[in-house]
Amino acid sequence: MSSAFFLPVESGHRFCIYHPSVRDGAGLGIVYAHPFCEEMNKTRRMAALQSRRFAAAGYAVLQIDLFGCGDSSGDFADARWEIWKQDLQVALGWLKSRVRGPLGLWGLRLGATLAADVARDPTMGIEHLLLWQPVSTGEQFLTQFLRLRLAAEMLAEGNAQSGVRELRETLRRGVPLEIAGYDLHPLLAAKIDALSLADLVPAVARVHCLEVTAMAEPKLSPASQRAMEGWRMKGLDVRAMAVRGEPFWSTLEVTECEPLLAATESSLKGAY
Amino acid sequence: MLFDDVKTVVGGALQIDGRVQEMDAAAPLLGAVPELDSIAVVSLIAALEEHFGIAVADDEISASTFATLGSLTQFIERKLSR
Repeated sequence: MSSAFFLPVESGHRFCIYHPSVRDGAGLGIVYAHPFCEEMNKTRRMAALQSRRFAAAGYAVLQIDLFGCGDSSGDFADARWEIWKQDLQVALGWLKSRVRGPLGLWGLRLGATLAADVARDPTMGIEHLLLWQPVSTGEQFLTQFLRLRLAAEMLAEGNAQSGVRELRETLRRGVPLEIAGYDLHPLLAAKIDALSLADLVPAVARVHCLEVTAMAEPKLSPASQRAMEGWRMKGLDVRAMAVRGEPFWSTLEVTECEPLLAATESSLKGAY
Repeated sequence: MLFDDVKTVVGGALQIDGRVQEMDAAAPLLGAVPELDSIAVVSLIAALEEHFGIAVADDEISASTFATLGSLTQFIERKLSR
């Protein structure tokens, strides 16, 4: 049975859901990093479904709401990349004391990119890094996020009143922006803007990169493909694959993607 | 046909596949399709950019572009002919 609790951290508490494994701590212990803002809400269901499947397969999973997100303490306006990294490190430490098997870190969208950044530290002892639809280029991701404001302006006033370039300028001047109900701090925006998955080479035994696409013959997006190729060139063991499905992190209705759950399970099979 | 392509992309991005197939060029999008909130608009733009290999400029994010399926198709047509 899964249980919810608050994990104490330096700057408050983080809401967590723990799914113990049916094998009583013998298998892999996995920490999950959720995606950004509204994508977090859209993906709760898929995260819960996968967590339960992992638990049934003998892996323990710890889902953590990062600083300023979900039911954790802190304001989103005060959220910083480094604080989120610390949150994942604390979560990994908590899980490490409860499982005897190796550690895994799993993230979705920007959470996957965050997970890769955390996994660069070899002292974290992460064996498996699981990336779901990672954000490969932070700049492109931020552009899409800033566009939400333009789209909202169009819906309200008929035309976008601002431009992505002006919004970036505002951030560069140190002014926070409200986008889709979230106060984006310039320092967090700058960090996201500079992210490149290819540069975040993780110190892990194996990388599992899974993506969802509407294409009839699913294949990894070109950006992720390039990043994974780069990691392979650096000697990393990368298993990458794409499955067919809807982009459940952005669809209007909460959707499920069974092929992703199945592919994830089989990619990690024998990982303990 | 470009119009059918646009229809398919709109239907996929907004998850209104069934409904969009019944719509003609004059069928209004903005203000008429409740699914079209700001997140959906951004998803739709990204889907159009990816599908047609175009880049939508900030000042093209306007109600005249997204008024109807027809206006959206004309917009894509102009982008493609540049």
